Amino acid sequence: MNRRQLLTGGAGAVLASAAAAETRFRDLPEAAFTDSPYTQVPDRPMAGLEYNPVVTLNGWSLPWRMNAGVKEFHLVAEPVERIMADGMMARLWGYNGQSTGPTIEAVEGERVRIYVTNRLPEHTSVHWHGLILPSGMDGVGGLSHPAIAPGKTFVYEFDLTKSGTFMYHPHADEMVQMAMGMMGLFIVHPRDPAFMPVDRDFAFLLAAYDIDPGTYIPRVAEMTNFNMWTWNSRIFPDIDPLVVNKGDRVRVRCGNLTMTNHPIHMHGYDFEVTCTDGGWVPKSARWPEVSIDIPVGAMRAYEFDAIHEGDWAIHCHKSHHTMNAMGHDLPTFIGTDKRRVTQMIRRQQPGYMPMGTAGMADMGEMSMELPDNTIPMMTGWGPYGPLEMGGMFSVVKVREGIAPDDYSDPGWYVNPPGTQAYEWTGDMPEFARANGPATQVTPKSHLKHDH
Amino acid sequence: MSARLLGLASLVLLAACTDQTVVDRASDPRAGFGFVEDGAKRSTGASAAWAQTSAEVAANEARVRALVAGKTVGPETAVQVALMNNRRIQAAYAELGLSATDLWDVALGPRPRLEIGISGIGEAGLARSLEAVVTGAILDLATQKPRTKLAETRFRQAQMMALADTVALAAETRRAWIDAVAAFEVSSMIGRAQGTAEAASELAAELGRTGAMNRADQAREHVFTAELAAERTEARLAAQLAKEKLTRLMGLYGTGTDYYVPDSLPSLPGRRPAPSNAERLALEHRTDLAIAKLELEAIAQQYRLDTQTRRLSSADLSVGVEIERSDARETEASPVLAVGFEIPLYDAGPLTSRRGALEYSRAAHTLAQRAVNARSEARSAHAAVTGTYNIARHWRDEVLPLRREIDREALKSYNGMLTSTFELIEDARDGLEAELETAKAKAAYWRAESDLKTVIWGPIPGGAE
Ligand SMILES: [Cu+2]
Repeated sequence: MNRRQLLTGGAGAVLASAAAAETRFRDLPEAAFTDSPYTQVPDRPMAGLEYNPVVTLNGWSLPWRMNAGVKEFHLVAEPVERIMADGMMARLWGYNGQSTGPTIEAVEGERVRIYVTNRLPEHTSVHWHGLILPSGMDGVGGLSHPAIAPGKTFVYEFDLTKSGTFMYHPHADEMVQMAMGMMGLFIVHPRDPAFMPVDRDFAFLLAAYDIDPGTYIPRVAEMTNFNMWTWNSRIFPDIDPLVVNKGDRVRVRCGNLTMTNHPIHMHGYDFEVTCTDGGWVPKSARWPEVSIDIPVGAMRAYEFDAIHEGDWAIHCHKSHHTMNAMGHDLPTFIGTDKRRVTQMIRRQQPGYMPMGTAGMADMGEMSMELPDNTIPMMTGWGPYGPLEMGGMFSVVKVREGIAPDDYSDPGWYVNPPGTQAYEWTGDMPEFARANGPATQVTPKSHLKHDH
Repeated sequence: MSARLLGLASLVLLAACTDQTVVDRASDPRAGFGFVEDGAKRSTGASAAWAQTSAEVAANEARVRALVAGKTVGPETAVQVALMNNRRIQAAYAELGLSATDLWDVALGPRPRLEIGISGIGEAGLARSLEAVVTGAILDLATQKPRTKLAETRFRQAQMMALADTVALAAETRRAWIDAVAAFEVSSMIGRAQGTAEAASELAAELGRTGAMNRADQAREHVFTAELAAERTEARLAAQLAKEKLTRLMGLYGTGTDYYVPDSLPSLPGRRPAPSNAERLALEHRTDLAIAKLELEAIAQQYRLDTQTRRLSSADLSVGVEIERSDARETEASPVLAVGFEIPLYDAGPLTSRRGALEYSRAAHTLAQRAVNARSEARSAHAAVTGTYNIARHWRDEVLPLRREIDREALKSYNGMLTSTFELIEDARDGLEAELETAKAKAAYWRAESDLKTVIWGPIPGGAE
């Protein structure tokens, strides 16, 4: 499937909304909308300066028009319905039909004019996080300019003086509006296409919500106990994979608009951080990593050469963040004999199943009836069984022979013979065991003998 | 006519004063019981039984044994057994029998032994005494008919009282049956709640064993179970005592107590209680109203009798004392003494009529208030039936379905590991609590329904709410 197909085919279509067409502002660029939660790979730019577009995971890039040398966008802040995963819909606030909002892409040196229409029930503003611009364009309601009242359209206009990885979000009733899902990526490509070029450029924003199972709207007053850990307001198993052709240079851009840090860890590779929302990192300042901690309110881009074929997990390393909704007030049932208690409870609750007595993996395996509008806390199936993951988790799929514009899922990786762990059925090899808590010094003679 | 002449004429008539039809009726060993049987059938649906001989008592007991031995007793059977076997009601029927003998006595007229009374004590000398006694006999004779009428009224009152006692016993028995069944229902529900508590307790103990729950939290789960066990024991005792009351009312003892009541009360009827005609029916059927009405009749009869005697007083004879004594029987039983003693009160004429008027007025007012009460009780009973029906239906149709939904959703939350087993158990327990309240509301309905049946025939034993 090529880019054009993805863009125009089926659920991936970008819709020009009738409501936007009726807009009274004849000068305004038409606002584009989408109701699709799937990744829409943008076209290469037809006008303006050349750049290599980013692929927003489970998102899309905002169309634009050139108007007398100025690149014009039209953002519409409005209530949206976001499919967080199959079987779970959230009523959020977002931009142009989705949360997270569409990615704004432009090129260093361009002048952008961004119309912002407020269709929310309360005032809003847009702060262009990380960009260098006139103070009056900074989008802090009340400080930079009056907040945009409901029904009003404001215009932001500024020159893009630097390239890099940025984002946009409201700076008016910020706590509520971000808890409701208002955010988007702002990518400024280098003026010189030869500057740090990559073959694949992925981007996503980290957002956390508290949506009780059976409800649809986030609890905006929650500050710590979030239960939906999302990338672009999507949760595993329904975050799209990062599909890569073997040998590609790959960049992953990640911004954090939650209230905690996220150690994003990718398997199979060493990589280096090449960009923050402060700008590009000089080569001399980089060091190798396999996890990068993304601080609260910050952005990181890291790069690697996709030389290792396979299916590689990419996830936040806070284990709770790879879980979906779960109770935190659960006793640990490991080792508990529930046979008698099961009989007793079933007299009153015939559907009762004992769980957790051997850990919580049962949750990934059993598919029992859950409250409406929620998905299991650990879920997703791989080729060899349940993945027992949720939330901030995806898979980097590195394959030979993937076409440059192809981002469609190539399926599960088939490990070459002899390169996969297997069950040992022979004699049990001898093994050592430590029973005491005291420090045990391995005898040097033993080491010498071995080597 | 002079007193003497009247006395002579009366003496001649003495032998022929018996009212034979009344005597025949009153001398029947089951005199008046047909009325009670009929009324009992109509008011309680059960048959009243009056066991007068040891053979009848034995036959009754055999029938009762067949009805209850080893069986689960329904409300109709309970009432039937009570009417056959409760000794209090047999005592009430004996009371009716005594009233019949009173009527018989009066209907037989003055007896020969009255003349023997001539030798009785005469305060003013023998001749005077003789005259007085003769006068008494003449008086008796002259008042024979009205006194028979009064005795008949009293007898009708006794019939009504026997019926009232029957209705009251049936009501009490039905109520005791409802109470007993409801108590067993509650006890078994608390038992189920205890089952869930034990599950939590068991789980807590297991968690203690694995090291996942501290002693304080374990004790919290255990203490709930322990407290609930006490509650259950209480509920069991309450059920046992309620059944014992029913046993008492059914007059059972020994092996006769070997019977059961159902585990739960019948479900609510599908239809709402009909609009009330209870008020009209109560005015038609209430035994207490009938008794008070008869009282009024009796007073009227009694004082009409006085009017006649006053006519006699104008012939220098006084029965003022008789009038002053409201109990006519006593006068009849000892006419000699009475007359002799009462002569000094000869002049009591004006007091007599004033007293009659007051007694009549008292009885009339009493009757009026009874009627007001009966109507109100009927309306209350109907309101109670409608109200308790609505409440019980609300619990059943509104609260319980919500509780079941909570249970369903609780299970789903548990499935999703969103809530713990303990929360699941707690929701189940709350659900049982609601079932308990629903059962209590249902029992309240059946009690009200029973009261409505009763209030048409008489006051509710123990008083209406
Ligand atoms: Cu995280």
